[in-house]
This record gives sequence, structure tokens and C-alpha cells, in this order.
Amino acid sequence: MAANYWASTQRRHWLFSREKLVDIREGLREKDKVAHSQFPLPDQRLLNIYFNQQLIKLGKRMSTRQQAIATAQVYLKRYYTKNEIRQTSPYLVLTTAFYLACKMEECPQHIRFVVGEARGLWPEFITPDVAKLGECEFALISEMSSQLIVHHPYRTLSELQTELSLTSDEIALAWSVINDHYLTDLPLLHPPHVIAIMAIIVAVVFKPTHPSAYPGTGQSALASSMRDGGGMQMLAALSDKTGSGPPPKIQKLVGWLAESEVDIRAVIECTQELVSLYEVWEQYSEKSCKELLGRMVKSKNLDK
Amino acid sequence: MARKGSLQSKSKSPPAFDFLFILTSSRFKPDKEGETIQYTGLSQSAIREMALCTELSHANVVQLEEIILEDKCIFMVFEYTEHDLLQIIHHHTQPQRHAIPAPMVRSIMFQLLNGLLYLHTNWVLHRDLKPANILVTSSGAIRIGDLGLARLFYKPLNSLFSGDKVVVTIWYRAPELLMGSRHYTPAVDMWAIGCIFAELLSLRPIFKGEEAKMDSKKTVPFQRNQMMKIVEILGLPRKESWPGLASMPEYSQLQSLVLHRQPSHFHRGSNLEGWYQSCLKNGGYSSTSSAGTPGSDGFDLLSRMLEYDPSKRMTAEQALEHPYFTNGGPISGNCFEGIEGKYPHRRVTQDDNDIRTGSLPGTKRSGLPDDSLMRASKRLKE
Repeated sequence: MAANYWASTQRRHWLFSREKLVDIREGLREKDKVAHSQFPLPDQRLLNIYFNQQLIKLGKRMSTRQQAIATAQVYLKRYYTKNEIRQTSPYLVLTTAFYLACKMEECPQHIRFVVGEARGLWPEFITPDVAKLGECEFALISEMSSQLIVHHPYRTLSELQTELSLTSDEIALAWSVINDHYLTDLPLLHPPHVIAIMAIIVAVVFKPTHPSAYPGTGQSALASSMRDGGGMQMLAALSDKTGSGPPPKIQKLVGWLAESEVDIRAVIECTQELVSLYEVWEQYSEKSCKELLGRMVKSKNLDK
Repeated sequence: MARKGSLQSKSKSPPAFDFLFILTSSRFKPDKEGETIQYTGLSQSAIREMALCTELSHANVVQLEEIILEDKCIFMVFEYTEHDLLQIIHHHTQPQRHAIPAPMVRSIMFQLLNGLLYLHTNWVLHRDLKPANILVTSSGAIRIGDLGLARLFYKPLNSLFSGDKVVVTIWYRAPELLMGSRHYTPAVDMWAIGCIFAELLSLRPIFKGEEAKMDSKKTVPFQRNQMMKIVEILGLPRKESWPGLASMPEYSQLQSLVLHRQPSHFHRGSNLEGWYQSCLKNGGYSSTSSAGTPGSDGFDLLSRMLEYDPSKRMTAEQALEHPYFTNGGPISGNCFEGIEGKYPHRRVTQDDNDIRTGSLPGTKRSGLPDDSLMRASKRLKE
């Protein structure tokens, strides 16, 4: 349960295989083919980047902690495995996910305050009526079967900090890699400890030369360092533990991994997912996400 | 939006169905005809309880059957339990006092601590343990119930105090909470368990204080009377044995308590042993009686749970290994084992808001004002 991921509802009900996830989305698409052709939306990851940026904006004035934003992102993902996005008002759903996540992560915000802030950001899409948000909260809880406790990789990261003698730079980088994984389907595909280990490997092995405070540049630095033969280096390091090549830190990590029962293949798969996220990120345009979503919500009257 | 198959259909079911419905709504309680009911956002405590109960699974924690979201109301359907500790204690005071048999107390305590250990190892603080919230099935299994004040405490983003200013029903509230501590630990639940242990033996709350009400400015008052009740039995807490004491927000209040009252209470040490011995005597507990006795092991356990300093107070894990449990033979998972006579079933009412099962003043969930959710603790029996 709360301490035990293995017995958690997250593992039992919200962990999918890649194929299953494809099936689910195909099913949602089948139900509303017309809307799909009428309202094309950007790549899911680009939409996720957009949603994440909106959540951060929303959280900013309430100085919300990252963990609550992360929980909100997971709620969004779960909700959209049950509902077709083209039948919802994404701005309302994301505001509601935020409101609910804040309560669950013990940093609650008043409903009127949340609605007020959301209206400040997206006046065309959020009505001043708090009952809308309350109603959507009901729907969200119902679709998630009241399974609201989310296990995040941040915890594994801080638990392994001492054991793997990670520096504060490495922790910061791993932390931002974890932040980024919420932009992909990874939270629905892998347990949090696998994600945390992937983030640690990325931080220790790739170590981009200047981790930047600005998200955009940080990502591209990381992405290019991962692309430029970095992946090979890591894979080599993982498979060849007797090799004399890697520095002691990496050797230590590899040794630790070999002794742990972590699914290395899953870790590598997560790394690849992250690399492809950084690749697709280059096509990201806030404007285009905003326009496509806006057109969809307006013409379908989803905000009513 | 809400799930189908629901309250209506269930209440038409044959009488064999006994469900405990907890209606977590009040403003939209559909009692005013014609008034449009509005969604106002759910209380944080309702959210916590739903999320925790969905996740938890242990033989000594109440089992959630289903959550029904319908008509802007939430119904949490729990397994039906025939008894609770408050009702059992009450039964033993009538028509005259007759003590709860020692093996039964031992079984209750063991199961209770087992359930609590499960909660604590899963980073859940209960924060409202009291006899009314300890449910007992007809086969004598103990279930910790009412997680409406429970929360996770793993690396909280905010201090526990800033989340809920007032926790735990006054009689069971730990001294560090009375002293205004901003941070607290699972030890607050252990204090309450100590109080429950004492109450099972004496059939009366051990520290039956009166609650000071919150003033209009919503500042949390010092619970002078409750603190006095504790001091009367345990003596005054001392800096020497509780190093954190002097830095507690209400320390000056505690000192003023010493100045203003007659000093007789304060200069003697703990009188818990005296209290315990007279409790055993009054209850007819003795090693020669058929009901047996909790004996000196029982006293040792009690005194370690009613330890002032939360960092020295016994944990659930330690308590389970205490000689009180390890000596003296096996412990039954059925607390009624070997007990003759039956306990009456709990009163099943439509609207149970009285002091017995409802929250005592001061334990009202201090959620955000956006919700209007209050527990109506409704039990329906068709």
C-alpha cells in the first residue's frame, strides 16, 4: 500500500503493457472516428508537454510542489485511458486533476482559488462556476475508482542517494529526468523504481556538461549527449562489467545493478523512450497545441 | 458520471444485507426539497479516507467493500461489524460493573496493535483512535475503523500541524499534541492505544477532560483541563525526562498551570501504578479468578504506552513483543473466545450523530471550507 508498491492499486490496476495501452487508445478512437478526423491533435507527448507547462503555470502562483504536479499528470493519464480527450474539456480536466492532486499530496488549495487562477490563465475555457470543477472531480475519482495514491520515482531516488553516493548535481539531473518522464507513457508502463534507476543511470552516465536551469536547454543538452554515442556507451557499460573502460562511479553503479533484481531491459527501454521524447520535443510548438485544443473545445462546445 | 447499481437497489435487497454507509456530505444532503444541490468540491478528509481505504488491506483494519459515487454523494460501503469497543465497554457497566475478562482484553490489544503496526509501516497515521472507532466482528476480530482523519506521513510537503490544527478526540489526545507540537509521529496513536487499554480495564476513560473550545479567531486553545487530568495520574511532565518539553509552544501555559493550582498534584511523581492496582482490584482481576489478570506485565505495557516523551514511547512493533503478549500462552484471534454470553449488537440507526459514534467536539475534520462535508455516519439496515 502506501509504503508497499507491490501491493498497491497502482501496480494492480494502473500498470499496462505497451500493447494493452495501444488497444485501449484504439478502442477510444473507434468510438469516435469522426471527431478524430475532424480534430487532429499533436503527438500525445507534445500535448503532454503543453499540459505540463499549463500545470506549472497554474501551480506557480500557489507555489505548488513538483510532487503534486506529478500526481496531477498521472491522474490525467489515467483519466484519458478511460475517456477520449475529444469528448472532454482538457483545461477543465487538468485544473481538476491539479485540485485533486493538491489535496491528495497534502498541500490543498481552496476550490475558488484554483478556479480563479485557472480562469486567469484560460478565461475562454474555465467558467467561474466552481460546481463545474466539483462535478469534474467526481468524474475523475469515479474513473480512477478512488485509487488516488500515486507512487513516484522521487522517493526511490532519495532512498538510493546515499547507497550510490550520488552528488547533488547528479540528484538534480536525475530529478529533472524524472520530471520529464511524466511527459511520456512511462508512468503507465513501468514501476517507479525502474524509472528512478533509469534517471540515475542517465544522470551518472551521460552527465551533460552544463545542466541548465532553463528546461529547454537542459533537455537538448541531455538529448544530444544521449544521442551522440552515449546510448552505446551505456549499453556497453551495462553488458561488460569487467571492462576497464568506465570510470569507478559507473562501475559501482553497474555492480549495484547486477546485484539488484532490477529489470535491466525495462531500464534500457525507458532510456530509449526518454531519448525519443527529447527528439520529438524539437517539434513542440505551444501555439499549435493551443490552437488545436482551442478549436476542438470551441467547436464541440466542450467547455459548456 | 456516478456508478450505477447503488444505494437504491441495495436497500431493496433482502434483510440479510447489512451495510455501513458513510455519507460524506452535508450541504448537499438532500433534505431541503427543491433546493438545487451543487458540487462544491470534496473535503480533503473524504479524499484521504477514500484513497486510503481503497489501498489498505489487513485483517485488523476495516474492509472497504465499495465506494459509490452517486447523486453528488459518496457512499463508502464497509463490511458490517456487529460491535465496537465503546459498546462493549458500555455493556460491561450494566446493570453493574463487571470487568472485561483479561484474555479478551489481551486479544483485543494484540489485534489492535497488529492493525496499527500495519498502518504505521505503511506510513499511515490514524489520528483518531478511540473505542468508538474500534470495530469488532461477531467472530471477535478487531478492525480499526474510521480513517477520516488518517493521513500519510512519509516526507510530508507541509508540517502535519499546518494540515490539520486539531487531531484526535480530546480524551485520547497525546501530551505532545496538547503542548502544541507542530510535528508529531506515530507515537500519537500509541498514546491513544494506551488510553484505550486503560479504558478496557477500568471501563472509564482514564483522562476524561473537558475540551476548551476554539475561539472566534480560530486559534487553538491550550487544553488546560485535559492536561490536568493527565497530570493528576502521571504527575507533571519534566524537562529532565522529556527534553523536548521546554521548546513546546504551550510550555509557558504548562508552567502557569503549576502556579495557579494547589501544588499537591505536582510534587509527587506518577501515580499510574496506584491507579492500575486499584483498577485491578475494582475489576476483580486476580491471578486466582477465572477471568485472570493482566498482572504486572499489563502495568509495564501501559506505562510504556503512556510515556510522556513521544520519542521514548513504545512503538506498535515493540508493544507486540512485550511480555504481556509473549508470556501467558497463545492469544486468540477471536476476542470472544471462551466468553459466555453474547454482546448486544450495535444500535443501528438512520442518523447517528450523537456522542457515542459521532465525533466528539474538537475532532471535526478541519478540511478546507470549500467542502461542506461532514460525516453523517449513517447506518442503514433494511
